[in-house]
Amino acid sequence: MIALESVSKRYGSKTIIHDVSFTVGKGEIVGFLGPNGAGKTTTMRMIAGYTTPSSGHIRVAGFDMATQNEEAARRIGYVPEVPPLYDVLDVSAYLSFVATVKDVARREIPSELDRVITACRLEAVVKREIFKLSKGYRQRVGLAQALLGKPEVLLLDEPTAGLDPGQIQETREVIRTFGEHHSVLLSTHILPEVTLICRRVAIIDHGRLLAIDSPSALQQASEETNSVTLDVTAPEQPLREALASIEGVNAVSVRPLPGHDSLQRAECQVDAREGVEARIARAVAARWELHRLERQQPTLENIFLRYVGARQVEAPQP
Amino acid sequence: MRGLVAIYRKELATYFRSPIAYYVISVFLLGTGYFFLYNVFMTGIGTMNETFQNMGVLLLTVIPLITMRLFSGEYNARTMELLMTLPLRPWQIVIGKYMGAVTMLLLMTAATCINLIPLYLYGNPETKTILSGYIGFVLLGMACLAIGQFFSSLTQNQIIAALITVPVLIGLWFIGHLQSFQNSYLLRSLFGYLSFSEHFADFIRGLVRSEAVMFYLIVSAIALTLNAGYLQWRR
Repeated sequence: MIALESVSKRYGSKTIIHDVSFTVGKGEIVGFLGPNGAGKTTTMRMIAGYTTPSSGHIRVAGFDMATQNEEAARRIGYVPEVPPLYDVLDVSAYLSFVATVKDVARREIPSELDRVITACRLEAVVKREIFKLSKGYRQRVGLAQALLGKPEVLLLDEPTAGLDPGQIQETREVIRTFGEHHSVLLSTHILPEVTLICRRVAIIDHGRLLAIDSPSALQQASEETNSVTLDVTAPEQPLREALASIEGVNAVSVRPLPGHDSLQRAECQVDAREGVEARIARAVAARWELHRLERQQPTLENIFLRYVGARQVEAPQP
Repeated sequence: MRGLVAIYRKELATYFRSPIAYYVISVFLLGTGYFFLYNVFMTGIGTMNETFQNMGVLLLTVIPLITMRLFSGEYNARTMELLMTLPLRPWQIVIGKYMGAVTMLLLMTAATCINLIPLYLYGNPETKTILSGYIGFVLLGMACLAIGQFFSSLTQNQIIAALITVPVLIGLWFIGHLQSFQNSYLLRSLFGYLSFSEHFADFIRGLVRSEAVMFYLIVSAIALTLNAGYLQWRR
């Protein structure tokens, strides 16, 4: 539904986006993660047709953005970072304007407006001028205009920024429902949001796509941050040797727990394979008294920081 | 076509839901009313000729008030991102906005017709001359609007848009005065041809010359083409 092929964007001699390629399929919600200035908004703008790539191709719903921009635009709902609203218009006049431009049939406009107003919970402010609306409502009017005309692709740049927890919940629900049958690309800073609603995550930094996969696959791929912690009553050296000899354990550190005679806390760096913790438990419990064993999966936050951090070490920016 | 009409209607709604339209029309009517009173009642000459001349100069100061927000306002409110990602071509946005601005000009022009009542009641004006003066005034206004709209698309600061438009329009109005300083026939002709006021003077005298009509229309077309081209280039 959305396909980027080797897309780059240059402003003068400065390259903002470097050779980015990825796809978003039908019925898929993809989260776009990256720190400020990573190139998320520029990429979103290129997909939406606001700016054109310096090289590479973007296709949306089968249409080339370079040559069939207008056809593609009919199939895209786009919510920029700052909701694009006309303050002097009331909500209904604004939505009617967008619906008309999106070529919604004249007699279908009232029902289409009702649909998006209900979906975005805007009933209370339909006749209110936009400049009188709170930030939360403005954000939702921005989302409502994107849903008009039943687009096949939804591009959301920080859609929940500035919303209260209740509104965030409602907005996520709207996105989740929409994403069941359409394609959604969602840029965000909020990591839990990605784990909650996205099937895949794309991590971008300094204009380069660093990874794109499902949150669980990224967690599995992030081996070095998998660790198993256990508390055992055992002598330090034999425990260290026993743990180090277990298959799948890459590194071991053992230290005595203060205030507990012969109680040791061991931390094992393990690979991502299932069953390592069971082998550790069997080996330890056969010889000593095991009090606690816990496997710590890497959080998305850790994975994100690892990718972004690694990139910063590789290519320090001025 | 629906997109263009939607832009046009949105523009009209923007003018009339904010104080812009009322303010601009009021200022223009007050100015025109003053010049009319001065020219007709103080001199006792029952024509619109002098008033048209003054309306032309007044127009140069009022046009930037209408055009400064046309694109700068959209950039500022970040609504340009919406317009450029909706199924619209840049020329549709440009023409839709221009039609809205021309409608404002026509309303302003129509409102000045109130001056004709005392003129016809107490004098014997030439209807054809008045008509040609109004045709010239609208054409002049259309050219000025197109230029102001183009400059508005170049910056997101409305004040800067107005500050560029005013001297350019004033320059084009007075450029004919440079003829007297030129020895070169070519330059004299060029300055004369580019002069907004000299073409307008023909209309005030009652001459609707196709050359003058085409001049204003071509200036408008060039400015609007540059406007649409710039929007496309910005992508």
